[in-house]
Amino acid sequence: MKRFSAPRAGIRRKPLSLLSLPVFAFLVVPTLIVVPVALNNSRYITFPPDGISLAAVQGFFADPAWTSALSASMQAAAIAVVLGVVFGASAAIGLHGRKFPGQQAVVGLVLAPMIVPTVVLALAFYQFFISVGLVGSIVPIGLAHAVIATPYVYLTTRASLAGLNPALVRSAQSLGAGTLSVFRHVHMPVILPGLISGALFAFSVSIDETVMSLFMQSPGATTLPVKMFTDIQFNLTPKIAVSSALLVTVATIGLLIQVVYVLKRRSTARMMPLAA
Amino acid sequence: MAQATLARARPGAGGPPSGAPPKRRRRAGWLLLLAPVVVFDVLLFLTPLGKLIGSSFTGGAYARVLADPLVTRSLVNTLSIALTSTAVTVVLGYVIALVLWRSGTVMRVILFAVVLLPFWTGILVKNFAWAVLLQDNGLVNGFLHNIGLINAPLPLLHNRFAVIVGMVHCLLPYAVFPIFSSLAAIDGRLALAARSLGAREAAVFRRITLPLSAPGISAAGLLVFIISTGFFITPVVMGGPGDMMIANEIDYYARQLTDFPGAAALAVILTVLVSIIAAVYQRVLKAGGQHETL
Repeated sequence: MKRFSAPRAGIRRKPLSLLSLPVFAFLVVPTLIVVPVALNNSRYITFPPDGISLAAVQGFFADPAWTSALSASMQAAAIAVVLGVVFGASAAIGLHGRKFPGQQAVVGLVLAPMIVPTVVLALAFYQFFISVGLVGSIVPIGLAHAVIATPYVYLTTRASLAGLNPALVRSAQSLGAGTLSVFRHVHMPVILPGLISGALFAFSVSIDETVMSLFMQSPGATTLPVKMFTDIQFNLTPKIAVSSALLVTVATIGLLIQVVYVLKRRSTARMMPLAA
Repeated sequence: MAQATLARARPGAGGPPSGAPPKRRRRAGWLLLLAPVVVFDVLLFLTPLGKLIGSSFTGGAYARVLADPLVTRSLVNTLSIALTSTAVTVVLGYVIALVLWRSGTVMRVILFAVVLLPFWTGILVKNFAWAVLLQDNGLVNGFLHNIGLINAPLPLLHNRFAVIVGMVHCLLPYAVFPIFSSLAAIDGRLALAARSLGAREAAVFRRITLPLSAPGISAAGLLVFIISTGFFITPVVMGGPGDMMIANEIDYYARQLTDFPGAAALAVILTVLVSIIAAVYQRVLKAGGQHETL
């Protein structure tokens, strides 16, 4: 099918590609621009840069306000990834190939945190954690991130489980394999790519999350995006650019892992995280 | 969108096991796998949301916030900004999805990466980059000045225009995915048949590609609109004082006024408003679709 349409498609491909070039540039240029801005040889934000230097990067890592923000972000992300993977993956396995009354409700509950606006959740968590007395540390922020990260891990794990015939699980069980053994030998090899991709998602969701972390911030628990958000409102400084470049680097690594995986599998459909 | 895929339940999966005793044991095992996530979400998702809704009904919060002219203004801002950015996003998203759809495999992976990089990057980073580009001595103003088009910098930042640019940039990937899915589902032989009957490319697009990708367009529109109503960071970083949206008002009530019931009432109003609009939208679409098939 594709082979037939290709030569004809070639005729009209050009004008459309030219037309779409600014749209693709609009998408990617602002994301990448933070890297040269961060390496700018100037005390102020300028673009194009005056020259390349690592002064701003050194300044970032020498500033305890920024390094503690980085460490707070890492702690929150660690909580979100561990809890998100455990809860999301166990939900996907538990729901795989099953039908029981109330199943739709469970699936709805697992996915629901994705659709509630973050600001509504931020307010709800803010109120809730104050009422239970869990404030002033990174723990409530990590827990809140785990709530919104879990559905992503669930979706990626569910997508990788789609190719697994539930009969395999039953045959393993009928041959005497226990639950743990079934998990290790039947589920694990199949879901591993989904787990890795889900963990990357959970990490990315947590490290970029701003609104909930802003509501629940405290002197010891100010994450990188919160520090950036607070500073941006006063001035655009090179340290914000360094922090942005750091986050873009993390995003690029996540993306590259995904691209390598897709090229291996030769399936571009897997690149669409939300269609999982 | 995520919920739409739920409807596709696997038929015939989890068929009846042979013996009764192992069945009970197995089912208990699998339900045990669901327990952690259910307990976690009930404790840390439903309970906070329930408390939020409960607190919105205390102390006449609804009457108080609805009498606040700033709230009315932010509601109007939210609807107008969300509708504008949704329209722009869907048009640009369609162009991107179309190009993705027509590219070969390698090009498709590269272009997908271009779409996914901003998707993986946080809103704050993207808005910061836009602020750098659009500020008075930023790249855009510098370029326009250098080619002699302007003498004084254009006010590109801290206004409605900037908010919409920043939001469209964040929303684009969400529009591309559903539109691309619906394009990918189109039977390529339809276009071949049309061309063999003498249809020009414009006619093929207008009468085959566009109508058959309509479900993707409407799904993208709904998803993007729902996401856009909750924006909080972009109005602060890129907007002016007159561009605050409902999420900013929630923040103001919660953290500046420390009026939790008021903030909770606003959060409920936002959620209800978006749900109503989504329901009406889907009903209108359904009616339109039925009309088309007649």
